[in-house]
Amino acid sequence: MSMEDYDFLFKIVLIGNAGVGKTCLVRRFTQGLFPPGQGATIGVDFMIKTVEINGEKVKLQIWDTAGQERFRSITQSYYRSANALILTYDITCEESFRCLPEWLREIEQYASNKVITVLVGNKIDLAERREVSQQRAEEFSEAQDMYYLETSAKESDNVEKLFLDLACRLISEARQNTLVNNVSSPLPGEGKSISYLTCCNFN
Amino acid sequence: MLTHATVLDPPGQRCGMQALRGRGPPLGPWHWRGGILLLPGLGRVPYKPSWCGSQVPPACVGGHTQVFLLAVAGVCGCCGALRPRYKRLVDNIFPEDPEDGLVKTNMEKLTFYALSAPEKLDRIGAYLSERLIRDVGRHRYGYVCIAMEALDQLLMACHCQSINLFVESFLKMVAKLLESEKPNLQILGTNSFVKFANIEEDTPSYHRSYDFFVSRFSEMCHSSHDDMEIKTKIRMSGIKGLQGVVRKTVNDELQANIWDPQHMDKIVPSLLFNLQHIEEAESRSPSPLQAPEKEKENPAELAERCLRELLGRAAFGNIKNAIKPVLIHLDNHSLWEPKVFAIRCFKIIMYSIQPQHSHLVIQQLLSHLDANSRSAATVRAGIVEVLSEAAVIAATGSVGPTVLEMFNTLLRQLRLSIDYALTGSYDGAISLGTKIIKEHEERMFQEAVIKTIGSFASTLPTYQRSEVILFIMSKVPLPSLHHPMETGRTGENRNRLTQIMLLKSLLQVSTGFQCNNMMSALPSNFLDRLLSTALMEDAEIRLFVLEILISFIDRHGNRHKFSTISTLSDISVLKLKVDKCSRQDTVFMKKHSQQLYRHIYLSCKEETNIQKHYEALYGLLALISIELANEEVVVDLIRLVLAVQDVAQVNEENLPVYNRCALYALGAAYLNLISQLTTVPAFCQHIREVIETRKKEAPYMLPEDVFVERPRLSQNLDGVVMDFLFRQSKISEVLGGSGYNSDRLCLPYIPQLTDEDRLSKRKSIGETISLQVEVESRNSPEKEERVPAEEITYETLKKAIVDSVAVEEQERERRRQVVEKFQKAPFEEIAAHCGARASLLQSKLNQIFEITIRPPPSPSGTITAAYGQPQNHSIPVYEMKFPDLCVY
Repeated sequence: MSMEDYDFLFKIVLIGNAGVGKTCLVRRFTQGLFPPGQGATIGVDFMIKTVEINGEKVKLQIWDTAGQERFRSITQSYYRSANALILTYDITCEESFRCLPEWLREIEQYASNKVITVLVGNKIDLAERREVSQQRAEEFSEAQDMYYLETSAKESDNVEKLFLDLACRLISEARQNTLVNNVSSPLPGEGKSISYLTCCNFN
Repeated sequence: MLTHATVLDPPGQRCGMQALRGRGPPLGPWHWRGGILLLPGLGRVPYKPSWCGSQVPPACVGGHTQVFLLAVAGVCGCCGALRPRYKRLVDNIFPEDPEDGLVKTNMEKLTFYALSAPEKLDRIGAYLSERLIRDVGRHRYGYVCIAMEALDQLLMACHCQSINLFVESFLKMVAKLLESEKPNLQILGTNSFVKFANIEEDTPSYHRSYDFFVSRFSEMCHSSHDDMEIKTKIRMSGIKGLQGVVRKTVNDELQANIWDPQHMDKIVPSLLFNLQHIEEAESRSPSPLQAPEKEKENPAELAERCLRELLGRAAFGNIKNAIKPVLIHLDNHSLWEPKVFAIRCFKIIMYSIQPQHSHLVIQQLLSHLDANSRSAATVRAGIVEVLSEAAVIAATGSVGPTVLEMFNTLLRQLRLSIDYALTGSYDGAISLGTKIIKEHEERMFQEAVIKTIGSFASTLPTYQRSEVILFIMSKVPLPSLHHPMETGRTGENRNRLTQIMLLKSLLQVSTGFQCNNMMSALPSNFLDRLLSTALMEDAEIRLFVLEILISFIDRHGNRHKFSTISTLSDISVLKLKVDKCSRQDTVFMKKHSQQLYRHIYLSCKEETNIQKHYEALYGLLALISIELANEEVVVDLIRLVLAVQDVAQVNEENLPVYNRCALYALGAAYLNLISQLTTVPAFCQHIREVIETRKKEAPYMLPEDVFVERPRLSQNLDGVVMDFLFRQSKISEVLGGSGYNSDRLCLPYIPQLTDEDRLSKRKSIGETISLQVEVESRNSPEKEERVPAEEITYETLKKAIVDSVAVEEQERERRRQVVEKFQKAPFEEIAAHCGARASLLQSKLNQIFEITIRPPPSPSGTITAAYGQPQNHSIPVYEMKFPDLCVY
């Protein structure tokens, strides 16, 4: 029997300017809550969540990095092993959007070349204070060949979708790259409906 | 009827058909389908994962048919005999109620079994971890703890080759615990990991990866849990975990290289982050009552210990990767400026690193300084301060093989800083207002660099130190044919500032420099440059030159005893430490004394002198008398001081009253000292008499009245009569009686001309004439020192034409002296004289070459050094001559 409690394991790193809502996105996704008055992240934060996609258990290791400049060196060291990067900006903050090219340079420099990058515009619940139009962001992401999504951690808009889509893409990427992970090839017809998270509680 | 059965495997396994095994008659065709156990005629029972390999209480399948219940009951009753023994043993260590803790006796049984059948260890591990992962999923933390405890005990008990496979499952369990959000589980996992890390494995493991552990532990080091206490605990755990990873991997070449930047970039900043919060933690709870407890619970201390351990294990090739994150961390958190933390960090580094590697740290700091050459002055100053602190710690090992390169870097920074301060921008162009350069900050930086140069130099062995001294000297900008000085106001200003800074550095280097041999301390090419006239014009620079000379010559720490000029009636109160002048020093004085005297003489005549200059001159004279004097030198020094007295008296230079008084006073003080040093009673008496006379009638000619805050000067020095003066004739008379060379004493002192003078004369004819006139007016019979100079120079020829009357007489006189000299003088002197002549010829030739064609390449170091050819131009590094010690 396999000792692993998952079929796929992916490392996702969130990056972006300070205060764009990276931690809130992660909290919303992993714990289903929106912490009001979330303080600045110190260094890095770690969360784990296992999701099930088409019957496969996918474990997501989520590293939520500090946006502050002073932690840049430690956060950069986490890019290297990431399978996916979620580059976040704040749609109500022009500055956070203008910094994106700088972040892309960092990714270029520190992350592996196979990394999948997703551009996320957060805080769409504050639509009336929007400074970066959706079109502009879309054009930018297209030019940079990135997947783009607008979310709201507060209203839980698109948060689930963001991570699940990302997981799907990571799986298909991993399948193409046979070297990465071929542990699980379940026989057809065999029980896969019992999710690890929902299994019954026996004594 | 099925009487005994056990569920062995979960559905989905290939062996599913045998999953339900039993004793007695077979139960007929039964099989799994889609997770449902189908028993013909009995019904459908959904498979529960918890059945897998474990006892299944009958209640679980209650509500189904009687037969199956019986079958399962059979499982409960008898499976013990059929299940693998290791599983039974493992199951038995778990109590009914997790509160009861590990079942000790059963644990012993398991341990015994594992020890006697080590091949089963990996399966035990796998089974335990499987249970643990399940329990974590079900939040049955009591059992989790028990499983970990069992694992720890097994690990401790079974330290042998067989541990290898067991470790796989062990690490998986630790990782599982670390993935949890629960602080308790994180800490539990870390503790187990630390225990594991302390086990020394003797077999290598090829495919273990600690990536996740490093990442997670580093993350824990940055914990920002709301609860302070828990936050501290998690951070401590993180540090301990990192320490564990380091211990585990550091010496194992087969494992992931912990020194790779990808790990170091996480580990080092995490430790530093905790280290830097020490003050914060202390200021939060200043209560002294909590002190002992806090000591135990302090992440900063733990981080420091961990950092020390890490660095202590770093090999030559790894230092760089370990130090770089430190530098970057200090940059990012802008910790150079208050610099307390930066210094603390590097103290930790220097003290814990293997001493033979410490120069690597220094090198890295230096290149970091170079990389930051356009950062704010405060940042650079911080780096330099750290450098100087680190250098002191590393002592002998700090500099390593690239001494000059290191000093070169520092000097380059110094020059850059001067440029920044002058131009007001970092790129030499006109400032665009992007960054405002604060001059006082640059000044602070310069001071820091100079201090650092000093502290580096103090760690060097003597021979390297003199090498460095030469190197710095060669960087001092001096006017010459090869390197024309920059002109214009900025150029001059820059030159002056550079000269000051470099001389300051030299002063730093020379302080505490103990060199037994003056020849190697002050080699001639160094001395030539130091005593060059270009460094005499500016009062500040002149003072530096004098102080440098003093600190070189003072080898017995007598210097401070002459810091004030006085006419003590008994110098024994000074408690001077005097050694006999060594033979090498005598040779040195033979060779260079005239140069030194000349410098002193000319310095005395400078109008811009202030009290400090006179004090320095006095100190220099006194120290020469103490350190380097033989009879001849004493005679020369007395002549020199008398000549200085003449300067004050004749006053050709139109010196102000203060300077003249100061020179009188200087003479009095020095003659007072030297008379007591010679211990010739009649000499002492004469000096005392003159001093007493001055005390009564002309106190303005004594140091006690001149060298005070408000000098009490006479407005008119015309009233100076012979009684106030020290008389050459009298002195030569009394000293001649005690065996001193009275003939020589009778001759007034005239400064020797140098090649440089002649060079500079070409530039200003006016000066030449005045000097010439001076020589004539004295009607000097003192040709001895001028002989080599007179023979072939342009000036002598010119003079011969203009003033042919005196020629014959002079010629006769000269011949007489030459004969006399060769009859009387010691061999060394003659040899030196001839050597000087040869070098003079060569320098003339060189001059001619310089004018006509490109300068000839400098002959090899040894030859030039042997001739002592003066080097007047700034020497490029590659042409630099090293002290003899280096050549051989």
